[in-house]
Amino acid sequence: MIELILFYAFAGVTIFSAMLMVLSRNIFHSALFLAVTLLGVAALFAMLGSFFIAGVQVLLYIGAVVVLTIFVINLTKQVIGQDVAQVNEYVLPAILTSVFSACLIILAVMKTDWGTRIAQSVAQSELTDNTALIGRQLLTNFVIPFEIVSVLLLAALIGAIAIVSRDKEVQK
Amino acid sequence: MDTISSLGLITAVLPILAFIIIIAFTKKDKMASALVSIIAVGISFLLSCFMLSQQIIAPGLHIYNIPWMYIGTVELNMGVMINQLTTIMLFVVTLVSMLVQIYSIGYMHDDEGFSKFFAFLSLFTFSMLGIVISNNLMQIYIFWELVGLSSYLLIGFWYTKPEASDAAKKAFVVNRVGDFGFLIGILILTFRAGTFDFLKVIAYVQSGAIEPGMMTIIALLLFCGAVGKSAQFPLHVWLPDAMEGPTPVSALIHAATMVAAGVFMVARLFAIFSFSPDAMHVIAYIGGFTSIFAASIALVQKDIKRILAFSTLSQLGYMILALGSGGYTAGMFHLTTHAFFKALLFLGAGSVIHAVHTNDIWETGGLHKKMPITSITMLIATLAISGIFPLAGFWSKDEILVTLHDSGNMLLYYTAIITAFMTAFYMFRLYIVTFLGKQGHHSEHAHESPLTMTIPLMILAVFSIFAGLVGIPGQEINISKFIFFAGVAGTEVLNHAETMNMNIAFTSTIVALSGIALAFIIYFFKFIKAESLKKVSGPIYTILENKYYIDEFYMFLIKNIFFVISEAVKWFDRNIVDGAVNGVAFLTRWGGAKLRRTTTGSLQTYALVIFSGMIIVIVAFAIYNPDALKLLGRP
Amino acid sequence: MITLNHYIILGAILFAIGIFGVITRRNAIGILMSLELIFNAVNINMVAFSRFLTPTAAYGELFTIFIITVAAAESVLGLAIILAIYRKRQVLNADEMNLMKW
Repeated sequence: MIELILFYAFAGVTIFSAMLMVLSRNIFHSALFLAVTLLGVAALFAMLGSFFIAGVQVLLYIGAVVVLTIFVINLTKQVIGQDVAQVNEYVLPAILTSVFSACLIILAVMKTDWGTRIAQSVAQSELTDNTALIGRQLLTNFVIPFEIVSVLLLAALIGAIAIVSRDKEVQK
Repeated sequence: MDTISSLGLITAVLPILAFIIIIAFTKKDKMASALVSIIAVGISFLLSCFMLSQQIIAPGLHIYNIPWMYIGTVELNMGVMINQLTTIMLFVVTLVSMLVQIYSIGYMHDDEGFSKFFAFLSLFTFSMLGIVISNNLMQIYIFWELVGLSSYLLIGFWYTKPEASDAAKKAFVVNRVGDFGFLIGILILTFRAGTFDFLKVIAYVQSGAIEPGMMTIIALLLFCGAVGKSAQFPLHVWLPDAMEGPTPVSALIHAATMVAAGVFMVARLFAIFSFSPDAMHVIAYIGGFTSIFAASIALVQKDIKRILAFSTLSQLGYMILALGSGGYTAGMFHLTTHAFFKALLFLGAGSVIHAVHTNDIWETGGLHKKMPITSITMLIATLAISGIFPLAGFWSKDEILVTLHDSGNMLLYYTAIITAFMTAFYMFRLYIVTFLGKQGHHSEHAHESPLTMTIPLMILAVFSIFAGLVGIPGQEINISKFIFFAGVAGTEVLNHAETMNMNIAFTSTIVALSGIALAFIIYFFKFIKAESLKKVSGPIYTILENKYYIDEFYMFLIKNIFFVISEAVKWFDRNIVDGAVNGVAFLTRWGGAKLRRTTTGSLQTYALVIFSGMIIVIVAFAIYNPDALKLLGRP
Repeated sequence: MITLNHYIILGAILFAIGIFGVITRRNAIGILMSLELIFNAVNINMVAFSRFLTPTAAYGELFTIFIITVAAAESVLGLAIILAIYRKRQVLNADEMNLMKW
C-alpha cells in the first residue's frame, strides 16, 4: 500500500514538473523543472529496484546534461532575456497529436494480455538490486556494444569541440 | 564437347582474337597487324583442312551447345554444328580470307588505315565463320548482322570519299530490308516450333505441324534474308555500288563471305525450304531472273569491277536457281568453285587497277605483256567462269544445268543456257579489252604486281583449274557423296547425276565457245564495230548501261512515297509524342513548383507531420485489424 | 499492487508531453530538453519491462544504460550546434532557423 502511494507521488511529481517544463515561459525555469522530472524518474527506477540505473540517471542526466543545458542557456542570455512567446502556432495540433498518441499507447497496453509472461508476477519485495548482474552482462555478453558506445561518446566529444571552436578560428 | 566441334569453335574465334589484338596492341605497327591477322586466319585454315579431311574419312554431325539464356521455355544457345556442309564452307571461307589478306599486304601497303583494314578483315572473317558454324537461328541472325556491319565498315573503308560512304550506307540499308524479313521469318518459326535449334526446328517442320500456306510464308520470309545478303533481284542494288570499297574487300565479299552467306543459309535450312514447293518455285524464278538480268547489264558496263560485280550477281542467281530447283549439291558445288575463280578475278582486277590506276577497261589494254602472271591467271579464271572444259566452272555449271534439265522446267533451263552464253561473252570482252589489243594510254607505265599479290593469284588459279574435278560424275571421290540432301518425303529433290549427260555438256560448251567467239569477233578482230553495235541496239543499250533504271526507280519511290509517309510520321512524332513527353515534363515542373511551398524548412512542422502521420497509420491499422494494437501475440 | 501497466502508462504520458514540447517549443534548447523527456519515457518502459519480464537477464537495464549514453552524446552535439548557430546568427528560435527550405 505504501508502495502504491509512493508510486503515485513520484509519478505525480514527474508528470507535473514535466508539464511545467514544457509550458514555462522562462527557459531557465524549464531546465530546473527538467531536473525535477529526471529526479522523479530516478526515484521510479529506484522503486523498480534498479538502483544502479537510478544512480546513473542522477549522475549523468542531472549532473551532466541538465548542467550543460544551463551552461548553454547562460551563454545565450541575450536572446533569452527577451520576453517573447515561448510556444509557436502549433499548440492545438500538438495537443491533439500528443493526446492521441498517449491514448493509442494506453489503449494498446490495456488491450494487451501479459498473461503467462508475468504469471509469477514479481512481487515488489523480490525486486532486489541487480547492479552486479548488469556489470557482469556489460563486460561479457554486451562488451561490444559497450565499446562501440564509448567510441560514440568520444566521437561526440570531438565533434562538439570541432563544431564550437571552428567559429573562433574564423573570427581570428 | 568433342574434338571436331571444339576445333570448329577455335576456327571461328581466332579471327576475332586477331581483331582484338590489332585494335588493342598492334595498331601502330603495320606489319605486326598484318602478321597477327594472317597467322590467325592461317591457323583457322589449317584447322578447317583438318576438319574437312576428318569429315571426308568419317562424315558425321558434331554439335556443341553453350547455353546462353532462357526466355520462358525457349533456350538461347551459342553453338557449333559441324557437318560436311560446314567443313567445306569453312575451307572455302578461310582459304579465300587468307589469300585475300596476303594479297592485301601488297595492295594496301601505303594506305594509312593498313592496320585498321586488317582488323576489319578479321572481323569480317569472324562474322562469316560464325554464320557457318552456327547451330541455331538466333546465332545465325546475330552473325548475319555482324557480317552486315563489317561489310559496312569495309565498303566505307575510304570513308572520306563520298561515293564510298554512300555505298556503305546503301549496302547496310538495303541489307536491312532483307534482314527484316529474315528476322520475322525466324521469329514466326521459333514461335511455332518453340526453339531456335536447327535440328529441332527442322524436325518440327518435317513433322508437318505447320500448315502449307504458313510454311510458304515462313520460307519466303527466310529467303528475304538471302535476297538481301546474296543480292538477288530486287535487293541487288547494293552490290555494284559496293565496288567503292578496296578491291580485296570486293574479292572477299563476292567470293567467300557476304554473298555466300545467303546461299549458305538457304542450303543450311534447305530442309525447311524444300518443304514448301511454292517457295521453292519462287526461289528458283528469282534466281533465274537475277542471273539473266545481271548478265545482260554486265554486257555493256565499262568499269572492270562493275562487270565483275554483275557477273557475281548472275552467278549467285545461278546458285539460287539451282537450290530452288532442288539442286542442293549443284548449288553448293557452284558456290565453292565460284568462290575460287571469282576471288581470282577480283584479285586480278585489283592487280590491274593497282598497276594502271583506273577502273575503265577502255583506258587500259595490251596489259598481257606488262603483267604476264596477272594476265594468265585472269585468263584461267575467265575460262573457268565461262564454263570451259575441264576447268572448275564447267563441272559446277554442268551440274546446275543437269539439275534444271531434270527438273523439267525448260524455261529456267534455257534462261540458264542464255546466261551462260552472255557470261562467256562479257567475260571475254573484259579480258580482251584489258589484256589484249591496243595499248591504252593508262597502260604505259604498268608493271607486274609484287609477289604478295601474285602468289595468291597463282594459288587461286590452281584451285580454279582443279576444284571442279571432285564433281566429275561417276567418280569414286565425288562431291555428291560428300554434300547431299537426304530429302523430305513428298518433295522433289534432285541430287547429283550419277552419269554425265553428254548432250547438256556439249550444249553448254558450244554455247560458251560461241560467246567467246563473238567476243573475239567484236573486240579482237573488230569485224563488227562496237560503236555501230551500240547504234543498232539504241535504246536497249542505254537501258542496260543504266542498269534498267532500278536505282532511279527506287529513288523515285523513296522521294514520292517514303518521304510523304515520313513527313506524316514526323508530324505525329513532333506534335503528339513529343507533346505528351513535354506535357509530362511540364506537369512535373508545375507540381514541383507548387509542392515546394510545403517544404517550409521549419523543423517543428516536420516533427508535427511525422508524428501525426504515424498516428494516422497506426489508427488505420487498428481500424483494419483491432488486434494489431496488442503488444503481444496470444500466449 | 503496482503492475507493469502503471509504469507503461506513466511512460506514455511522459512521451506525450515530450512530443508536445518538441512540436511547440520555439527555443531550440527547449526542444532538446523535450527530447530528453521522450528518452526518459522510453527508459521507464525499458526498465519496467526488464523488471517484470526478464528479471534475471537485465536486458532492459542494459539498454537503458546505452540509451542514456547516446542521449548524453546527442544533447552534447545538439547544444554545440545550437551554440554555433547562435554565435553566427544570434538566433535561438527553431522557426527562425529555416535556411534549409526551397
